[in-house]
Amino acid sequence: MPEAEAIRLAQQGNAAAFERLYRLHNRRVYSLCLRMVSNTAEAEDLTQEAFLQLFRKIATFRGESAFSTWLHRLAVNVVLMKLRKKSGTETSLDEMTEPDEDSGGPRRDFGTLDLRLSGSIDRVNLQRAVEQLPPGYKAVFVLHDVQGYEHNEIAEIMQCSIGNSKSQLHKARMRLRELLHEAVRDKAREDRKAASAESGSED
Amino acid sequence: MATITCKDFLDRLESWMEGDVHSDSQAHLRNCPHCRSLVDDLKGIRSEARSWGAEEAEPSARVWASLRSQLEQEGLIRPADAAKTTWFGGWFASLPRPALASAYLTLLIAGAFAVSRPMSRPSNEARWLAASQDSTMPLRAQLIAEQNSFASFNNANPVVNASLHENLAIVDNYIALCEKSVQEEPQNEVARDYLYQAYQQKADLLAQMTERGENNR
Amino acid sequence: MSASHFVRKQFTWNAGWKAAALLLPGLFICGMASATPPPRRQEQHFKVDAHPVVTIHNPNGMITVKAWTKSEVMVISTRASDYVEVEAEQMGNRVDVSTHAAADNVAPDDMRADYQINVPEDAELQIHDDSGEVNVANVLGDMNVETVAAGVDLEDSAGYVTIKTVGGSFQCTRCAGKLEISSISGNLRLTDIHSFHVHAQTSTGNILFSGEFLPNGIYRLKNYSGVIEVRFSPADSFALSATSLKGKVINQASLTPKSHQQHFYSRFGNSLFGTFNAGRAKVELTSFDGTINILKRD
Repeated sequence: MPEAEAIRLAQQGNAAAFERLYRLHNRRVYSLCLRMVSNTAEAEDLTQEAFLQLFRKIATFRGESAFSTWLHRLAVNVVLMKLRKKSGTETSLDEMTEPDEDSGGPRRDFGTLDLRLSGSIDRVNLQRAVEQLPPGYKAVFVLHDVQGYEHNEIAEIMQCSIGNSKSQLHKARMRLRELLHEAVRDKAREDRKAASAESGSED
Repeated sequence: MATITCKDFLDRLESWMEGDVHSDSQAHLRNCPHCRSLVDDLKGIRSEARSWGAEEAEPSARVWASLRSQLEQEGLIRPADAAKTTWFGGWFASLPRPALASAYLTLLIAGAFAVSRPMSRPSNEARWLAASQDSTMPLRAQLIAEQNSFASFNNANPVVNASLHENLAIVDNYIALCEKSVQEEPQNEVARDYLYQAYQQKADLLAQMTERGENNR
Repeated sequence: MSASHFVRKQFTWNAGWKAAALLLPGLFICGMASATPPPRRQEQHFKVDAHPVVTIHNPNGMITVKAWTKSEVMVISTRASDYVEVEAEQMGNRVDVSTHAAADNVAPDDMRADYQINVPEDAELQIHDDSGEVNVANVLGDMNVETVAAGVDLEDSAGYVTIKTVGGSFQCTRCAGKLEISSISGNLRLTDIHSFHVHAQTSTGNILFSGEFLPNGIYRLKNYSGVIEVRFSPADSFALSATSLKGKVINQASLTPKSHQQHFYSRFGNSLFGTFNAGRAKVELTSFDGTINILKRD
């Protein structure tokens, strides 16, 4: 069943049509949620909530934008609202970024540049670093670099300007670099401790 | 070629990562290991993220089961015979009938084609105008045919009746003015956008009249 | 046939007539009771969980929805006549309220029902009202309202709000969240708005916007003819694009030129591009032949 037909039938309450729309988009939505919250149970709950909101509103879908863009917008909003509740403060979407947003640029820390990251950028380290990003940066980074959306699509999904999307992405990557460097330094420190403990015990 | 500082390079780094590469930035990178290391790190992050994105996970079966149960509970999934249009259900769904829906879809495709033509390329105005007329003429004829079938449309509620007819006249006037504007200035994107929107409004209005006409039979 | 038999029959007849004489009035009273129509005013209560969905389909009449603190949906309906029926039923966490004709060819004045509905503040609303009036206050959930001629008045909302009217006007006061409004001839009035996403379009109606321009917010106001009026404060910060193809653009904001133009807009018509303060929000105003006024708030 093509998507347009499924949408039409879903608007009339057809069960098979709802399931078709779910099957067409569930992997992408779930992957987005999982990359944002890093917890499978939570990601499944968010996926269910995103689709539930979508199906409740499906009667109002008029085709003004791509269905998948609309769905992903709902999914991102569901995730960001969840992250906002977790942080315990009512902050607006545009405040979910680093407090230095107005400074116009990322912190320039040249001191650690002697430690190259290449070889340290593996999946596990990157995932851990992404988990530590503020919600706004995380959303743009996951949507662009991980999920492959273009800036104009992200602007539509996040309801921001294209310039804003590019700027947030750059800051997210710079922050990830700092976090990955910290992880490399921490690992190096632990390795040194372990090595000195071993040599101490041999003496 | 002017030499730039690390600070200058950092100021341009965001554009660099988006593919906006200047020769003086390239020269700086050749000579500055610090900035080179920074760019390599950012590219490495981007590359690893892409390979991460290539893998898509699937949620467990319980998600659909739970979702379906919720949809049934809320009455969003209806049994097959109840899914037919009821007296107010069609009004709620507010979708065009099949004939109008196909006209609407053709309109959207023709409109999207007409509006999306990039204005930066040189275009043969007469050929564009003929092409857009060719693509929209059968559609206009279909909309007019649909509209003629509503000549005797009469909703039981005189307020609703009057409003629908009055607004149909408004939209027709709007279409005529936009068409004239597009004919006078074929390259005017704003005029074409308004014309496209006017057709959409008309199709939508005719669809609403259809549902209310069916509901009154 | 014996005389006793005749007497017994007579007795039976008499007894029967007596019984009938006793029963018939009772039967008549019972019959009258079952033929009495339901009261014109009805009140129903439905217990709900968080985020209930409430749908209201009413072809003609007033719909007033207010939020309250109870986990309950209360529906008070008032029918104009006995030729119209109102129905409210609950399925899970969803309450559907609808108006039906009870007979054929019901006169429009008889085919009217007014509703007063109280909902939890996080309820999601879906409202259809062809003619009459729709008033919603303090509901923070998402809502979708569609009317033909009915006007819509919204206060203190915070969710994703989509409004569609043919000729009905729309008024929104102290609304947050996201607003998407479209009409053909209705006037749109948005005051004291605290929303980061406003898309409002009407063909021949006027649009008035007076509210905050939030950082990274997007504000798109569009009409064919009529007036678009936007009021700003000195502390606002927005990037402005204003184009009227055949009408005027009147501006009181001191704008700084942008380094590049919005490529979407053509070189035709009266256009204005610029940045006010840091340009943090995006404001796009478009009219075919109407007037665009960008005025300082008093």
